[in-house]
Order: sequence, then structure tokens, then C-alpha cells
Amino acid sequence: MESLVSVNCPQPVVCNSPLPTASIWQDILAQAVTGELMAAMNYRALSTICDDPEEVAEALEHAQGEQGHAAAFAAEGRKIGVDVPNNVNARYWRRIRESFMRSIAERDFMACLIVQEIMLESFAVASYTRVGKAGPGSLGKTFAAIAAEEEEHIDHALDILRSERARDPERFDDKVYRLHLDVMTTLTEMVAKECRHGQCDLCHSNCVKPSLSEVGLTTVELRGASLQQYLKSLDALGLPGEVTLQWVAQLPV
Amino acid sequence: MGRATAGVTAQERRAEVDFALIGHQETWRSASDVLAVLRGAERARLPDEEIREIFPWIPPRAVCNVEVASATSATARGLYIDCFIPPDHLDCEYIHDNLGRVRAAAACAINRGARIVSLGGFSSILIEGNFDQLSERTDTIFTTGNTLTVAFIVQGMRKMCALEGRELSKSTLLIVGATGDVGSGCAHCLAPLVKRLVLLARNANRLRTLAAELEADGTDVEIATCIEQVPFAADIVICAASLPSPSLQLRCIAPTAIICDAGYPKNLNPRGTMDGARVFFGGLGQISGGLSFMPDFKGVLNRHPFPDVAHGCLLEGMVLALARRFEPFSHGRGFITRERVEEIEALAAQHGIHLAPLYNAEGPLEIMGTSKPQDSALSHRTNPRSVIHLELDEEPSIRI
Repeated sequence: MESLVSVNCPQPVVCNSPLPTASIWQDILAQAVTGELMAAMNYRALSTICDDPEEVAEALEHAQGEQGHAAAFAAEGRKIGVDVPNNVNARYWRRIRESFMRSIAERDFMACLIVQEIMLESFAVASYTRVGKAGPGSLGKTFAAIAAEEEEHIDHALDILRSERARDPERFDDKVYRLHLDVMTTLTEMVAKECRHGQCDLCHSNCVKPSLSEVGLTTVELRGASLQQYLKSLDALGLPGEVTLQWVAQLPV
Repeated sequence: MGRATAGVTAQERRAEVDFALIGHQETWRSASDVLAVLRGAERARLPDEEIREIFPWIPPRAVCNVEVASATSATARGLYIDCFIPPDHLDCEYIHDNLGRVRAAAACAINRGARIVSLGGFSSILIEGNFDQLSERTDTIFTTGNTLTVAFIVQGMRKMCALEGRELSKSTLLIVGATGDVGSGCAHCLAPLVKRLVLLARNANRLRTLAAELEADGTDVEIATCIEQVPFAADIVICAASLPSPSLQLRCIAPTAIICDAGYPKNLNPRGTMDGARVFFGGLGQISGGLSFMPDFKGVLNRHPFPDVAHGCLLEGMVLALARRFEPFSHGRGFITRERVEEIEALAAQHGIHLAPLYNAEGPLEIMGTSKPQDSALSHRTNPRSVIHLELDEEPSIRI
């Protein structure tokens, strides 16, 4: 299938939409498209360290699915009259990509699944679900539908990861903790109430966060729902709740 | 105990869970303290605004490991599970959300294999008599813990009356929240000891039923559905109502009444003016063998001026675990009898769990033998008022 979205297109901003909040949706969609493109890149990278041909095929299938999500989000942008840029080298996304690629370099399949499915997808499911409820028309429906698909990915990964944890819980939990410190610190900064370290390199002008209330969203809600989903995913893996609560409580605010 | 990188030791993984305690925070201050302990001393405390934004999103879960030691040298291990109900969401408006949180906390206790679960504060109220609403019934046993709470309220009231030189047999007792499980239990236990009983609750039918039971045993009983209807100025009062916050303003009581506030959350409005009334916090017990938390939540989860003190409802689960009696000792509503109270009291005493030293918001109300005010895990942040020592001849000026 030909890709409908190419990576790193910080296109000139075109906003000729009759929708008064189109520029806000444009920034929200830019984050979603970038996240999906990065997921596609991550799955392609994952396919290179799989030994089993079936696993290779599955990783490539996932990559194609994520690429399709990116295309769907870009199409929703066009429907409201905006071009949706993307930038996988944007401040936070680049750091997340680097974390993921360290696990690829170590050929650590389980670490890759933990980062992509437990951390990134938890945030995607929680935030897409919220955006799905707030988004107008088909835009909202697309977010909700993709949230449901991503949730299935998590469930599938949980089965694999639970089996892995059963072999050596202590080693597994130590690995999750190491990845948590690396990736979740970045994700938490990304969903903080304010971008204190400057532009995220995706918003088309000023930071979109203060404007989210205009479309029925808040950073508090997106952050809270994302961390809640992450904790629930860790619970589903079997990690003790009192331990993961401490991990999350110690994240930067 | 050595800690693994991830904060999970092999010992913790293998630990059996004899009991689980389900509770919730009564104030934003206590919620903030819980998160401060979890963040660790090396990290800045979260601003109040952040706490209020983050706290409601935390799914019900274990917060810490708990170990209780018996006077017989037996020990029991357990978990404290918080429902993470926002402290200002305890009223009826949020009942469905809160019920969901209690169910999730119960599921957490079941998943961890807890043999017995004590339900503290609102968590007991939400599923009193509705145990079939729990997500899944397994070998995990649930108790509301209300019988031991009643035992400590009654013991506390008798002790306070003795300290004040009052005779129960000449007193009119008002019970606020009289048709609740704790209120009706107190009524059954104290009815034979007082001159007259006034029962106050919102549900007139339940009031009439309870009054009829007590009258059949020869007790002089009056009922009221609001405080203005209370016919006599009570000289002793037990507040055991299910209130979302300390908001009760008592009127129609004797100016020097003895008042036991046994609410969780507390019932009495701290700004209420009852100069001359003698108030104490009731329903609390102290563990002589010791109570420890990991991480260290001493003085944070049990915010009392004395060490190893906890609500009777939570202590009941620990007593039953120490006694290896994994049974639903307190269940439903209105089944607390004098015999059951005596039974759990004796079991608690056998394991060195006794009535806690009496105190109120101003501090201790009696000179303690060996009980010293406790240091909190966050002692530098606690209210200094809560650790004031009073001499016997010192008349505390109590304002509530």
C-alpha cells in the first residue's frame, strides 16, 4: 500500500477552515500523526530483530496499520481544511525514538514491546479516547476507532509480556523500571501542563496546551487519563500496584 | 531489607497477604502527605493544585505493605489499599464513582490473595449488606470491621465518663447516625447502661424498628429525624453518622456534654461552638506489639498523636488475621450484638490490641503509661497541636 503520509513534513501551515477551532485540531492531529508514524517506524525496526518469520510479518503488519492510522488522521485534517504536519524529530518524539532504538541495538524484543505497547500505546489509547469524545463529527469518530484498535494491540502484547514476566519476575520488573525512567520521564514532560522547556516543534504557532479548553479538552485530563491507563497496563502485567504507584509518583511534574 | 532496582524485593514478591485494609484519605492534607512519602524525601513536595489534579486519576491500588505484631509474638502481613477517592468527593453526588472505586480496591485485594479484608470508612458504608456487589467472590473474606469499632467506642465512652466523674446510669445518651451499623451497635451495647437513649437518624422507619427492639429490652428510648427534634439535652453523645465531611453542628445537648466523634471522616464541624463540651475521637485502638509500614507511612496513614493507633474497623481485620480466624466477623447492617462485641474485644485483647489513649484535635486527654506521642514519617510537617501533652490538672480548653 502506498503511504499517504510521508515522514517529517513540517509543511507550511494552511488553515482555510470554516471551523473556528481548526488550528487547535491541526496541532492535536500533528501530535497524533507523528506518534503513529513513529510507531510505524518502531515496528519496522522491530521486524529487523525478530528471528521468527511470523514475528517479522506481524511486526510489518503492525507498521502498516500504524501508517494507516497516520493517514486517517491526516485525512481528518483535510476534511476540516487544514494540512497536518508531522515531525518525528520534534523535541520529545526524538528522545522517545532514541530510547526505543537503544532497545533495538540491544536486540531486546521484550524491551521494545514494553516501550511501544505498554508506554506509548497506553498514552495513545487514553488520549485518543478523550479526544474521541471531544472531537467534532468524523474526526472524533476516527480518534475513538483508532483508540479501540490500539487497545487491542495492548491486549495482544500483554499476553506475550505476562508469559515473559512469569519466567523471571524480578528481572522483568527491573527492565520495566529502567525503561520507565527513560521513556516515561519524556512522556510525562510531553503531557505536562505547560511546555516549560520551549516549543515542542509540532505546534504551528504558540503552544496549543492553553487553548485545549476551547475544544473541550484539558492537559490535566489528558495527563491524568494517560497515567491512569499506564498504571492499569502495568497492573495487567502483574507488577505490584504499590511499586508502580511509587514509580509514577516520582515522575517529574 | 535490601531493595531491588525496581523497588520490588524477592521477599515482597513471595509474601503472603494475610489481610488487606481498604481505606481512603479524609483530607487533601493527608492525600498530599501520602504522595509526599511516595515521592521520597529527595523530591520536592507536589503543589496542592497538582495533588488535586493528579489524585482522582490514580486507580485504586495497594499503597504499602503492613505488618502487625501480636502480644503473643505472632505476626501478620498485609497491604493497605487506597480507593483514591478525592477527599471532597465523599458525598452522595459521587456515590456511583465511589462504589466503583471500592469495588476496584476489593478486586485488588482479591488479586493479591488477601485472606481477609477490612473495609475502612466509606468503603464499608458503600458495600454494607451488599457483598454480592463485589466483582468476584473467592476465598478472600470481607469484614466491615464495625464490631471492633463499636467495642472501642463503648470502651472509650466508659473511660471518658470515669475520667470526668460522670455516671452512665444517670446519663441521657444521644446517638447521631443511630440506624447505621456502628450507631445501632452502640445503641445495643449502651442501652442497658444509660438512663435514657435518644436515637437520631434520617430514616424514620429504621429508627422506629430499632427503638422497638430496645424498648422491648426495657430501655427508655426517644427518636428524632433531625437535631432540632431531639427532646432532651443529652449529657453524652456518640456521633457515628456517615457524613462526607466534618459538618455536624450539635444543638440541644448539655453544655458540659461528653461527645465521642467516631466518624471516618469525622462528624463534628471543627468551627462549631460548644464551649464546655468534652470531645474525644472514638473507635480507635492501639497495637501493643507494633504496626509497621513499608514504605514508611507512620503517622501519615494513621494520623494519630500516639503510635500504632488505627481505626477499629481496620484493626478488626488485623485481629482476625493474627487469630487465623478468616471469617466475615462483621457483615451487613444491624447485626452487632453485645455478645459479638465482647467476643472481638477479647480476641483483640488476647493479641495486645486495646483501646487507644483518648485524644481530640487539641491533643491527648489523659496521661499515658508507656504511650508516647509518635513521630510521623513526615513529622516536620504535622500539626504541632496534635502532639500537645496535657497534665492531669490542666483543663484543656476544647473548641470544636
